[in-house]
Amino acid sequence: MIRQACFFGVAVVLAPLLGLWAPGPVGARTIELPHAVNLQESNRAEQQYGCLVCHADKRRAHQLGVHSDRGVRCHDCHGGDPSSFEAVQAHGGNFKGSLGKLETVDVCASCHSDPDQMRQYGLSAGQIAELRTSRHGQLLLDEGNLDAPSCADCHDPHTTLHSDDARSGVHPTNISATCARCHDDESLMAPYGIPTGQVAEHRHSAHGIALFEDQNFAAPTCVGCHGSHAALPPDVGEISNVCGRCHVNVRRAFDAGPHGRMEGRAAPLGCTGCHSNHDTERVATDRVADTCVGCHEPGSSETLLGEEVEQVLLRAESEMGRAEEALHELVRGGHEVSDERFRLRAAHTEFRTLETLQHTLDLEQMDDLARLIASASLDIRGKAEVSAEERWERKLFLLPVWFFALGIVFLAGFRLRRISTPNARETH
Amino acid sequence: MFKQVRTWLGQVGSDLRESTDASLLSSLRFLGLLYGRIDRTLPIDQALRKAWARRLPSYVGWRHSFGGIAYLLFMVLVVTGVLLSFYYRPSIEEAYPSVQYISTEVPFGWLFRDMHVWSANLIVLAILAHMARVFFTGAYRPPRETSWLIGVFLLFIVLAFGGTGYLLPWDQWAYWTTTEVMNVVRRTPIVGGTLAGFLTGDVFVSGATLSRFFALHVIVLPWAAFGLLVLHFVVVRKHGTAPPRGFVADESPGTPFYPDHLFRMVIVSALVLAIAVSLAAMFPRAIGDPATPFELPDGLVSSWIVVDVSLGLIRTMGVWGFVGFSALGLLLVILPLVDRDPGASLRRKTLVLGVGLLFFLGFLAFWTVGRQIGAVPPSAVIESSILDERAVPTPDTSDSEQSGDPETRQEP
Repeated sequence: MIRQACFFGVAVVLAPLLGLWAPGPVGARTIELPHAVNLQESNRAEQQYGCLVCHADKRRAHQLGVHSDRGVRCHDCHGGDPSSFEAVQAHGGNFKGSLGKLETVDVCASCHSDPDQMRQYGLSAGQIAELRTSRHGQLLLDEGNLDAPSCADCHDPHTTLHSDDARSGVHPTNISATCARCHDDESLMAPYGIPTGQVAEHRHSAHGIALFEDQNFAAPTCVGCHGSHAALPPDVGEISNVCGRCHVNVRRAFDAGPHGRMEGRAAPLGCTGCHSNHDTERVATDRVADTCVGCHEPGSSETLLGEEVEQVLLRAESEMGRAEEALHELVRGGHEVSDERFRLRAAHTEFRTLETLQHTLDLEQMDDLARLIASASLDIRGKAEVSAEERWERKLFLLPVWFFALGIVFLAGFRLRRISTPNARETH
Repeated sequence: MFKQVRTWLGQVGSDLRESTDASLLSSLRFLGLLYGRIDRTLPIDQALRKAWARRLPSYVGWRHSFGGIAYLLFMVLVVTGVLLSFYYRPSIEEAYPSVQYISTEVPFGWLFRDMHVWSANLIVLAILAHMARVFFTGAYRPPRETSWLIGVFLLFIVLAFGGTGYLLPWDQWAYWTTTEVMNVVRRTPIVGGTLAGFLTGDVFVSGATLSRFFALHVIVLPWAAFGLLVLHFVVVRKHGTAPPRGFVADESPGTPFYPDHLFRMVIVSALVLAIAVSLAAMFPRAIGDPATPFELPDGLVSSWIVVDVSLGLIRTMGVWGFVGFSALGLLLVILPLVDRDPGASLRRKTLVLGVGLLFFLGFLAFWTVGRQIGAVPPSAVIESSILDERAVPTPDTSDSEQSGDPETRQEP
């Protein structure tokens, strides 16, 4: 009895203490779990959604895409009765089944052409209108040609992802592969007289290297020049405008030059005349004159002008190289080179301007810039030469050092030799 | 010839004496008076005369000069190091510009900087030559084992001097070479992590590392080196120079330190100093770009013999080759414990001979390999922690932090 009373007493004392560690009642601590509640509601709603009974794989793909987040469900595109768990009833009514290309465009347009729905997501409602202007849209919508792509050929219909998602087929690094699915298919392109291989050319071009190797997502892909929904090859007269969207200064210089003034009135010039289109390349400085021969007669005044432009560029490039080498020597020699480095950077900027300015073919302006570059180079090289002379003078310091050292060696050796003779040893 | 020179010098001296004015003479007399007072308290003349008259065994010759050369180079390093420390500033902002200033603005700054660099190379060769002479004549055996042990520790001290001094110019080559070495140290079993942490004082080579290396280089290691040097000289003086094998003691009194050995050392010292100055003037240590942990240099250019050896080891045998060779060096410490018979020929001690040959020839071989490799791209990578430090927070992250979004906010 006493033992039981003791146990009871201990229990009464310990119970409140243990209560500190015990989980409190639900109302004791307010925890807001809106996400969890939504999940519960969502799970309940899905259990009542008939499509998922058979199409669980599509559900997983759909959940990864943006449409799932926006509440777009199976029946919004495919129709049918999702409240039914019987296949016959579920596939009854307005059920559309797998959508054809034309139906896909209509279904997508039902939301994506509605500005009221698209405004909240910051999306344009004009994609379908743009598609109608494109060659793809003309073939598909006007001519009913099913070779042409519809929305779902570029955008995965179930896992629809934003274009800045690296998994998306329309992400900058994937878009050329998406286009290549059709444009690298020779049998598909042959009836339309469209060549293939553009994707491989783009990959090895300056733009492709910038995109794929330097991870510069501002570099243009297929859609950068041709447009996406309104995809069309630019006309000859449009080329400099297309390139000029990024290369603003080059376009301005080009327009000021003879080629820019002739554009659209003569043979296809534009930027692609020298730089090509899909395999866009910088023209090396020592190849400028060779490029002119592509259109102009060798020995003509135009090619001679090209040669002069090339000479100005080569001289400036050589000055830049010598200045960089001199700066390197100054650094190695331990000199403080912030001024020289600044001058070299300024010269780099001037050289970039010169490269842009060559599109004007204005030799006078180019010479002015080239002189500025040569002047900067001369200053830097001058300092490097002074430093080299100082280093050479240090070697002259070795003459007295060795004279003194050999003198000591000679005198001490002579003394050693004298004392090492037996007579001298005895005397010592 | 010598007589003529002496006569001529004597004539010049007497002319000088005759033409010197009274004030200089009185100054000299005062110095003499002062010296006389000091000499009566501390018998300097007597000690000097005793030291000069000390006779060394007849077998001590030119090949015993390497120890003296190492000491001479150590003194050169001390003097040039003190001159460098007048101008050098050990901080990541000022180290590089101060080295630039020493090299280009300070009168003869280039000379004492490059003398310091080249003496640091030559001293390693001198010590190894000295050690090789001691090793192959069996002079490390009792009773001279203490002298050998102190000598090996002095080698380690010199290596530590070079290792800590290598970072001080704070250019890209110094920075990334030290980073590579620290990576190797970090991978050393058992003690590696702790040792690397102690030396760097940070998760990567940084300002904390520069401060530590500077403190070790100019405070800790010099005291340790002076202590060991004094001990080395005392022990060498006590036991004398080991005779060559088969030497039979005779009644020969030996040769006096002065003039025989002193003149020998004067000749060797003059040549060594002239060589060091020549190397400094003809092959100055270039300076790389300022150190930055955010950018890897195109190549690492070595300026110290031990870095060349390490480079040769790591590139040909990997990290374990470097660790193994270091362990071989440590084996030399315990050599006198294994081989204690003073009279035995080294040829019969195959294992001992093998360890010694492997170390000395291996050093030369890997030095050659390292020089052949020359400039190499660093194998070290930029630490993710350094990149994180430089990373700019993305707008999404900062927005969610500021807005206190309940889905992204962490519960305390």
